[in-house]
Amino acid sequence: MNETLATTEKIAKKAKALGADEVIARTVASRNRQVRFSNNQIDTSLAWNYYVTDVVLSWKKRVVATQIPDFQKIDEHLKRLFELAKVSKENPMHGGFAKGKFNYQKSKADRTANDLEKPTEPIFEAIEAAKKEAGPLTTAGGIFLTSVADIYQVSSEGSMGEDCRSAVEFSIRAFSGKEASGHAVECSSTLKGFDAARAGRKAGEIAKKAKNPKLGLEGKYDVVFDPLFAGSLLSMWGSMASAYSVMVQMSIFVDKVGNKVASDLVTLRDVPAAYSVSNRIFDDEGVPAQENVIINKGALKTYLHNTSTAKIFKTQTTGNAGIISPGPWNIEMDPGDMVKEELFNEVKRGLYLTNTWYTRFQNYKTGDFSTIPRDGIFLIENGEIKESWKSIRLSDNASRMLNAIAGISKERHHIHWWTEADPPSLSPYILMKDVQITRPK
Amino acid sequence: MDKELVDFALNYAADKEVEYAEVRAQNDKSEGLVMKNGVLDAYFSAVDSGFCVRILAEGGIGFASTNRWNKEEAKKIVEIAYKLAKMAMRRDKISFAKEKSVKVKWKVDERKKIEDISPEERIETFAEMDKELTSQGISVPGRMFSSGTSLSEKYFINTEGSVISSYVPRVSAYGFITVVENGKSEQAYKQFGYAGGWEALDQWKLTEQMIYEARVLQGVIREAKAVKPGKMDLVCGPEVTGIAAHESCGHPMEADRILGREMSQAGMSFIYPHGHFWLGTKIGSPLVTIIDDPTIKNSYGYYEYDDEGIKARPRYLYKNGVINEFLHNRESAAKLNTRSNGSSRTISYDREAIVRMANTFVEAGDIEEEELFEDVKQGVYMKSFTEWNIDDKRFNQRYVGREAYWIENGKLKHRIARPVIETSTQIFWSAVDAVSKKVEYDAATCGKGDPQQGIPVYTGGPAIRLKGVHVK
Repeated sequence: MNETLATTEKIAKKAKALGADEVIARTVASRNRQVRFSNNQIDTSLAWNYYVTDVVLSWKKRVVATQIPDFQKIDEHLKRLFELAKVSKENPMHGGFAKGKFNYQKSKADRTANDLEKPTEPIFEAIEAAKKEAGPLTTAGGIFLTSVADIYQVSSEGSMGEDCRSAVEFSIRAFSGKEASGHAVECSSTLKGFDAARAGRKAGEIAKKAKNPKLGLEGKYDVVFDPLFAGSLLSMWGSMASAYSVMVQMSIFVDKVGNKVASDLVTLRDVPAAYSVSNRIFDDEGVPAQENVIINKGALKTYLHNTSTAKIFKTQTTGNAGIISPGPWNIEMDPGDMVKEELFNEVKRGLYLTNTWYTRFQNYKTGDFSTIPRDGIFLIENGEIKESWKSIRLSDNASRMLNAIAGISKERHHIHWWTEADPPSLSPYILMKDVQITRPK
Repeated sequence: MDKELVDFALNYAADKEVEYAEVRAQNDKSEGLVMKNGVLDAYFSAVDSGFCVRILAEGGIGFASTNRWNKEEAKKIVEIAYKLAKMAMRRDKISFAKEKSVKVKWKVDERKKIEDISPEERIETFAEMDKELTSQGISVPGRMFSSGTSLSEKYFINTEGSVISSYVPRVSAYGFITVVENGKSEQAYKQFGYAGGWEALDQWKLTEQMIYEARVLQGVIREAKAVKPGKMDLVCGPEVTGIAAHESCGHPMEADRILGREMSQAGMSFIYPHGHFWLGTKIGSPLVTIIDDPTIKNSYGYYEYDDEGIKARPRYLYKNGVINEFLHNRESAAKLNTRSNGSSRTISYDREAIVRMANTFVEAGDIEEEELFEDVKQGVYMKSFTEWNIDDKRFNQRYVGREAYWIENGKLKHRIARPVIETSTQIFWSAVDAVSKKVEYDAATCGKGDPQQGIPVYTGGPAIRLKGVHVK
C-alpha cells in the first residue's frame, strides 16, 4: 500500500479508536503552478504546494472536522477533534457517511500537467494569435494554471481509494481598444491536445468585432449565448440542484422534482468526466462519482445528494458529497441538433452575448437576478452581427430563462473561469427567447 | 511558528542574484460552525500554517509557498521562486517603490479572548438566535448561519531589513434567511465582522438584527408597493452608501486595476492613463469624500502594516468630488512614480499580496439623517440592498432595495418593493446633494485575485441624498 494512503488509514483508525462512530480521512498533496500576464507581458509566476489531511468524524450524530497539515501532531489534532465532538451539538439530520467498499475506475489524470519546461510559451502563442486576429496593437491578459493533486481517502465505513486530479486552465482577455474586448478559455484535464492559441484566436476574433461599441438599448431580445456565457448559466442552474441549496431555499428547484422546470430541449447532467478540470473518481464520502441526469427533456429528475441529504429526501446518494453540502462536479448540457449558424439565423433582431460577470440574486427561490454582459456584446439583425454594444445588463429570472431556451448547438466547449463560470461545464451555444436587457440611466 | 526557518529561507534567497526577496509566514488558527434551519451541520477547528517566498529578479516576480516546515522545503521554494522570477523575461522590468525598512511588532487586543470561548457557548449563541428568530410568528423556512473565528499570526522579513510580527484575531458571522407568506418569498443576508475578541458579539446584537430583517421581509411581502419608474430623489441608507463607495470608488481606484494587471479576471477601471478620468478629475459632488482607512480600531479590515511591510494610513480616494489618491502597493507605485500607501494585502501564506481595500466609506456630512427627508417632495428611501452588481470598469452599477420606503413631502409613507437604481458612477456621485452626520459600517468579504482571495473589509458611510436620479 502507498505510504501516504497507509498513514491516512492510520489516522482514520486512530480516530475510530478514540471512540468516533464514523471517520473519513482524506490526504491531499497538491502541486499548483500559475503564470499571470497582462499588457502582453508576464506579471508574476506562482507555485504553491499543499499537504493536508482533512478529517471529519461523527460521534452520537455530532459532526466535527479538522485539518492536519503534513501529518504533523496527528494525535494532538485527533484528541482535540474528539473533545470537540463531545461538546458539540447533535445533528439529527446527519444520515451517516456512505457505507460499503466500492470499486473505482482508474484515474485518467495527467500527472505531467505541471511539467511544462516553459509555461510562458503557450501564453505568448495565444497573445500572438489574438494580435493576428485583432491587430498588432491588441493587448492581452490572463492566467495559465496547471495543477496535479493526489488524493488518498479512507472511510471507517469501508471505502478506501486513491485518486489523481489534474487541471490545465488557460484564460485570455484581449483588448482591441479600451472598450472592445474578447475573452476565451481553454480548459482540460490534460496537456494532450491543449491549445492556448485557440483561446487567443477566439478572444482576438471577438475583440476585433467589438470595436467602436455603441450604448446598448433596453428591451426584450432573443439572445444567442456563447458557450463562455452559457457556462455561467449552467453553473448557476447546476448549483441550484444541490439538495443543500434547496434546503436553505437558495434554489429555483424547491419542491420541483418531477415537475417541468425547463424547455423540452433541455437535458442537464452532472458528469465528473475525465476531460473536466474537475475530474474525480469518488466523492468526499468515497462514493464513486457518477453521471446524474438533473433535468431530462425539461423535467427535474433529481437533486444532487450526499448520504445525509439523500436520507432526508428519501432517496439514494448521487455521489456528490461534500460532507455538509453536496454539489455538482461538471455540468453538461446535452447537445442540440442545430449548428451555430442556424441559431443565429433564428434571430431577426437580437443579441449575441459572449461573456458575463457579477451575477447576483434578489431572490434565489424565485430566481430574480441580474448579471453584466462583458467583452463582445453584439446586435444581431437577420442572423448577422450588425454592430457592437456596451453598457447593458441582463436583468431577468433564472426559472423563466430555463423555459425560454429555443435552440441548442451541437458544438460544445469545456468552460471554467474564475468564480464566474464555476463549477465547470460542457456548454453549447444557446438560443433564448425574450431576454430582458436593461441599461444605466 | 519557526522564525529561524523563515530567516534561513530569506538568507538562502539573498545569496542568489535577486533585486529583492521577502519571506512571509502565516499561522491561522480557525474555528467555526455551520447551522442550517436550526440544526448544527458541523463544527470545525483547524490550523493552517506555512510560508512563502517572493523574489524580484531580472525584473520579474516569482512566488512559491509551502506548508512543510523544514529546510529542504525552504530551499526548494526559494529555488522555484527564483527560477519563476527569471522566467518572466519582461520588456518593461518590474521594480518596487523605494520604502523605508521597519522593525516592528503589532497586535490587536481581545477584550474577551477568543480561545476562552468554548464551542458550547458558540453553538448555543447561534442555536438561541435561531430559536428566537423562529418564535416571532414569522415563517422563516430557510435559515443558514455560519460563524468563524481566526487567530492570524504573521512574520514578515525582507532583504531591505524589515522585520514585522503581527497578531490579528477576527470574528465573523453570516446569516441568510428566507421569509415565506401567502406563497410569496423574500430573502436577506447579513454579514458581521470584527478584528478583536468575542466582545464582537455584544456589539452586533445578532438576534435583534436577524429578527429585524425577518420583520422587514414580512413587511415587504405584506405591504410593499411597486414604485412608478421615473426621476426622483433617492435617500440611500449607510448600507447602500457603503456598497456604492466600495464598488464605484474603492475598486476603480486600485492602481493595479488601473494599470491593467487585473485586466483578464477582476477587470480594469474607468480610470486609466491618458483617459478621461485621472487624478484631479471631477467625479462627483463636492460633498463627496470617500476614504479607505485600515486604521479604524477593531474594524474588519484593520491592519497597522500591510503585507509588504508598509505602514497603514487613511487614503482619501475621492476628495470633495475629485479623484485624489489611488490605492497602491510597491509595484504599482513604482510604475506611477509614487510611493506605496500600504494597500498590499493577502489572505494566506500561499497567495501573493495584491492591491486591496481595507475599510472604504463616505466621510460624514454635517446634517442630521432626518433632515435628508425634509426637502424631498417625492422620492425613495433605500435603507438596505439585496441584488447589486457593477461592470468590470466599475462604471455601470445597480443596487436593488431590500428595505425601502416611499417618501412624500418629507415623510416616510409605505414600503416599496425592490426599487432599483441602475446608473453610472459619475451620475451617482454627482447627484449627491446632502450627506448626514452618522457614519455606520458593514462587514463584507471583498473578492479579487486569481485564485480568488476573499478579504475582510468594511463598507460604510452616512445616509446620503441623491437629487433627481432615475429609480424604477
